[in-house]
Amino acid sequence: MNEPVGRFTTAKTINRGFGVAPALSKGIGVTFVLAVVGSLARVVIPVTIQQTIDKGLQPDDIRIGFIVQMAAVAAVCVVVASLALRQAVYRLGVGAENGLYTMRVKLFEHIHRLSLADHNEERRGALVSRVTSDIETLTMFFSWGALVWLLDGSLMFVVACVMISYDWILALVAFAVSAPLYFVLRNLQRRLVAAYDVAREKNAELLGTVSELVSGTETLRAYQAQTPMLRKSKQAVRKRADAQIRAGVIGAFLFPSGEVFAVFTIVAIICVGVFRGVDSGLTAGSMVGFVFLTYRFLEPIAEFTEVVDQTQTAVAGLRRVLGVLDTPVGPPQAPNPVALPSRDLNIELKDVSFSYSSRLDTQDDDLPVLRRINLEIPARQHVALVGESGSGKTTLARLIARLADPTIGSVFLGGVNLKRVANDELRRRLVVVPQEPFLFAESIAHNLLFAAPNAEREDLEKVIMNLELTDWVQSLPEGLETQVGQRGASLSAGERQLVALARAALTNPDVLILDEATSAVDAIAEVRLAKALQALSVGRTTISIAHRLSTATRADRVIVLERGLVTEDGTHDDLIARGGEYAKIYAQWLSATSVQN
Amino acid sequence: MASIVDESVTSDSANLEARSRFREAAGLVAKIVKFHPRLFVTAVAGAALFAVCTVASSIGLRWMIDKVILVRFNENRSDAGALVIGSVIIIGIGLLRAFGVVIRRSYAGKTEWRTAATLTDRVLDHVVAQPVKWHRSRMTGDVVARCGIDSDASVAILAPLPYSSSVLVMMLVSAAWMLYVDIPLGIVAVCVFPILLSLNIGYQRRIDRYYNQAQKELGTLSEAVHESFDGVMVVKSFGAEQRETDRLAVITGRLRDARIDAVAIRSMFEAMLDAIPTLINIALIVLGALRVRSGQMTVGELSSFIYLFTLLMFPLRIIGYLFSEIPYSVAGWRRIDEVLSETIIADPMRKITTSPRGVGIQVENLSYSHNPDTTLIDGLSLKIDKGKTVALVGATGCGKTTLLHLMAGLIEPCGGSISVGDGGVALVFQEAFLFADTLGYNITLGSEISAEHIEEAIDVAQCREFVGALEGGLDTTMGERGVSLSGGQRQRVALARAIAHNRALLLLDDTTSALDPTTEAKVLNNLRLLAGRQTVLIVASRPSTIALADEVLFMADYRIADRGTHKELLSRSARYQALIRAFEDDRQNR
Ligand SMILES: Nc1ncnc2c1ncn2[C@@H]1O[C@H](COP(=O)(O)OP(=O)(O)OP(=O)(O)O)[C@@H](O)[C@H]1O
Ligand SMILES: Nc1ncnc2c1ncn2[C@@H]1O[C@H](COP(=O)(O)OP(=O)(O)OP(=O)(O)O)[C@@H](O)[C@H]1O
Ligand SMILES: [Mg+2]
Ligand SMILES: [Mg+2]
Repeated sequence: MNEPVGRFTTAKTINRGFGVAPALSKGIGVTFVLAVVGSLARVVIPVTIQQTIDKGLQPDDIRIGFIVQMAAVAAVCVVVASLALRQAVYRLGVGAENGLYTMRVKLFEHIHRLSLADHNEERRGALVSRVTSDIETLTMFFSWGALVWLLDGSLMFVVACVMISYDWILALVAFAVSAPLYFVLRNLQRRLVAAYDVAREKNAELLGTVSELVSGTETLRAYQAQTPMLRKSKQAVRKRADAQIRAGVIGAFLFPSGEVFAVFTIVAIICVGVFRGVDSGLTAGSMVGFVFLTYRFLEPIAEFTEVVDQTQTAVAGLRRVLGVLDTPVGPPQAPNPVALPSRDLNIELKDVSFSYSSRLDTQDDDLPVLRRINLEIPARQHVALVGESGSGKTTLARLIARLADPTIGSVFLGGVNLKRVANDELRRRLVVVPQEPFLFAESIAHNLLFAAPNAEREDLEKVIMNLELTDWVQSLPEGLETQVGQRGASLSAGERQLVALARAALTNPDVLILDEATSAVDAIAEVRLAKALQALSVGRTTISIAHRLSTATRADRVIVLERGLVTEDGTHDDLIARGGEYAKIYAQWLSATSVQN
Repeated sequence: MASIVDESVTSDSANLEARSRFREAAGLVAKIVKFHPRLFVTAVAGAALFAVCTVASSIGLRWMIDKVILVRFNENRSDAGALVIGSVIIIGIGLLRAFGVVIRRSYAGKTEWRTAATLTDRVLDHVVAQPVKWHRSRMTGDVVARCGIDSDASVAILAPLPYSSSVLVMMLVSAAWMLYVDIPLGIVAVCVFPILLSLNIGYQRRIDRYYNQAQKELGTLSEAVHESFDGVMVVKSFGAEQRETDRLAVITGRLRDARIDAVAIRSMFEAMLDAIPTLINIALIVLGALRVRSGQMTVGELSSFIYLFTLLMFPLRIIGYLFSEIPYSVAGWRRIDEVLSETIIADPMRKITTSPRGVGIQVENLSYSHNPDTTLIDGLSLKIDKGKTVALVGATGCGKTTLLHLMAGLIEPCGGSISVGDGGVALVFQEAFLFADTLGYNITLGSEISAEHIEEAIDVAQCREFVGALEGGLDTTMGERGVSLSGGQRQRVALARAIAHNRALLLLDDTTSALDPTTEAKVLNNLRLLAGRQTVLIVASRPSTIALADEVLFMADYRIADRGTHKELLSRSARYQALIRAFEDDRQNR
């Protein structure tokens, strides 16, 4: 039904789907046999009619007894067949649900473990639809399309067999007359599939523009720029409708083609049958039975038209799902994890390079974000990471936190290669606080507890107190129970950072990485927080990234990054004395923050 | 079967509910058909042709059996004329019937998708017309669903309508026909309609509960997944991958269970739908044989009777499916209707008047609150002369962003007035939002802006260095297939956007927070060169930024606590001094 190549990949896709979710194909053989038995019900009527006319309703000899007997047998066949069908539908449905459950759960875990490079804002919608709508297309398929494929294939086969057993010449006539249908179908179906592909694409475009229109609404309004975007969305709406309609029209021609051929075939059969006459061994009953069988033979085509789109959609959905599962997880889990030392975690980077774009293939046309970094940060040291915007600070922090693995080189924590540390342990011991923190649309308390699900109320209050945030919390309408809104939108930008900081402090990690974690809070609060954190951080290794160099002056050591290279490394005073890049930045900072100027 | 039917005839309240649901569905059909009535009527006409031809096709078959086949095989005569007539009838009716199908299907599709487009357009108009307040009170995903999936769902009711009406016609015509051909046989055959219909209704009602349950769980899942993926950074940072997976798996498990319950019922029903008509068909054959024996029927009549009955079975079987979309459609429509019938909140922009000449922005007696029972900003007034640069300084959470959003006409004040000089406002948000489009689009947002202006903006915002490094320059796509920028780079693109728009009033909400001191100094210097061209209000925390300003507004507790030059404020406001000197004091105390 497709190009050979297409069929191959489709079959391969389906096969891989079975591999991911074995429940989908478990016992499929039995289900198939049940379905074949179930489809037998559909040839019962033609056969009964034929038998009745031929053996029961001869003009001179009407044998009701025989007819009743035969009807009883037919009825038993129907009941048995429908019980088999029931079982087939049930098995298929339950298998599908269990399989899709497994697939979803695998996706959840896999997506959560994908690297951050695969997780940028703009891909999020796509990832969500992998586990929702794409799997839904499979659900739909298994509740109808799969059944049709399963039943109709066997039905056509069974009917063809019965036809041949009646009269092979008539059967050949029937096949010959309906043969061109195959080419018509192939042609139309190819167009139909292509048309549906276009429709799906347009649909995705529509969803994309609409979700941009909605999520960017504040920005668009601030510039009164809704109109161009709205125009673009409406264009997408129209294009989608056109594509769907086109596919619909092709389907409209495909749908009745089976019946049109049935009509010609029937006429041909009758003509040939009448021409050959009684002497050929044909009977009136088998002629009538043949007419019924011809309909049965070509009937599945209509149903098949109905499911062809569904099937394509499902295969496309499955392909996308597999595409996600094939994306290697960010940093892969350690197979035989090595335990970290119980205290004092030092950090060591050996010859680390990193590039976002190429995973391993080294296309050297763009410079790596980090280049050959060698660093050793002793335990308990407080390091400030400074450098121009875009120099790679966030990226370096991500590597240390193993939110990504270096393209070349290794990172060691407490002397253990990060690749060999169990994820759970790493996360317990090391925490990153990002610049634009994410908050769940729940209460502040809920957001704090996300970091430490077992923490008590007192623990929360203690952290709040230690960070000197009690006054702020008390000023909120409902204290810790205040709802923060979607992504924390009901808090100010600085307040969101406060919550994120408290959340990190609650876990009391051995390594704390602050990536511009207080960039939006006011100066007084920042200085106060910095002091509080320092007081709390006895025995902790801290890496602070901040453009506010008050942090750097407080740190034990300053590291300067420039275009992915470590260019300076030393204490604040050393670097100032050296008069290099840091001294320049610091002078900038001094003049920026000095009140008399 | 008995149990299904029994359960369907439950209490009155269920009946009532069913009736009101029916009324709602009927109302939806009546409304939705009106969008493109001509297309719909054409589809129905095609359906009617199809229905009539279906019934009529049994005539051709009967003719062939009685006049050709039986004559040939039982009497061994051939009648070429009858054969030709029969062939013409069968082929003619078959082609007409196919034609009806083509018309019905293509026009039903046209009706459906044109209506979906019309609905989506309307929803989009409403959504775009609703101001920020409306959007903030809703989840983004939910609004997107209402623009897309929901309109598709509500038109899903349209697709099967023409077909269903043809099934109805077919049922009536064929019932009459079958009764006409043979009354006792006709009665038995017609019995199948009520049986299948009640089976269908009972089934729908029974399975509805599970489908609704599943749909609800799916909604929950979708929301939970959205948030969980959105917060992936937090999830990863705290190693909560497994925890989140487990949480989502629980919801997924509930979804699966509801669906498996549904499958159990559905498979029963499916089998019964297959068996019952076939069993009746067998009974018809036996009964028909008796009628033939008593000479009240010919074999041709019996065969065509059975043939017609077989033809009817397919639509009767699937009519239940057709209507199974109804609850889904009704739910979709309800959600769309909610958006469409909601009054559009007046655009806060309309209240912003044009200020007198020489005034950049004037705010008088402004009051505002996020929720009705409190007042945050109360009686705030300020005036900034045209061309001046003013810094807005204040502690975290004191209301700076809120004030800027009020000035930009994003949110509506509870009282007071705002007027802005001719030439519009550009606001740079505290957290930059970039569209998954080209870099150029992110700067122009689709407005006509000359290349010169864009280039200037790129220079002013210090984007040159990284824009130059991008292979496609301004045509580089951001996002999924494109590149991602660092925090400071994003912020600078947002700034370039504001500068390129060249509005009379520029509102900058802490737009250099993610920049290093060196880059910040360059940006500020460039802004200083622009000074005088625009009125600028800049939320600032560092003296360097403040130094840029002609004047400082000091905000505390949602009020303008003080106003003056930087020097004046330093000398007279202890709170201002503490805030500004915090870094310096910190340095000295070390
Ligand atoms: N997810 C990503 N995919 C591809 N490129 C990225 C991604 N994130 C950052 N980059 C690029 O890598 C470079 C370094 O980015 P990084 O975020 O590490 O900078 P940074 O030093 O933290 O800057 P800032 O101070 O602005 O936050 C930048 O040029 C940026 O464009
Ligand atoms: N949608 C909202 N619903 C309820 N309260 C809100 C909402 N948005 C902001 N707030 C509250 O209003 C106050 C002022 O917020 P705003 O964002 O204006 O502060 P800000 O001065 O910009 O602070 P920052 O310096 O942290 O950006 C904060 O206390 C915040 O919690
Ligand atoms: Mg960064
Ligand atoms: Mg703010």
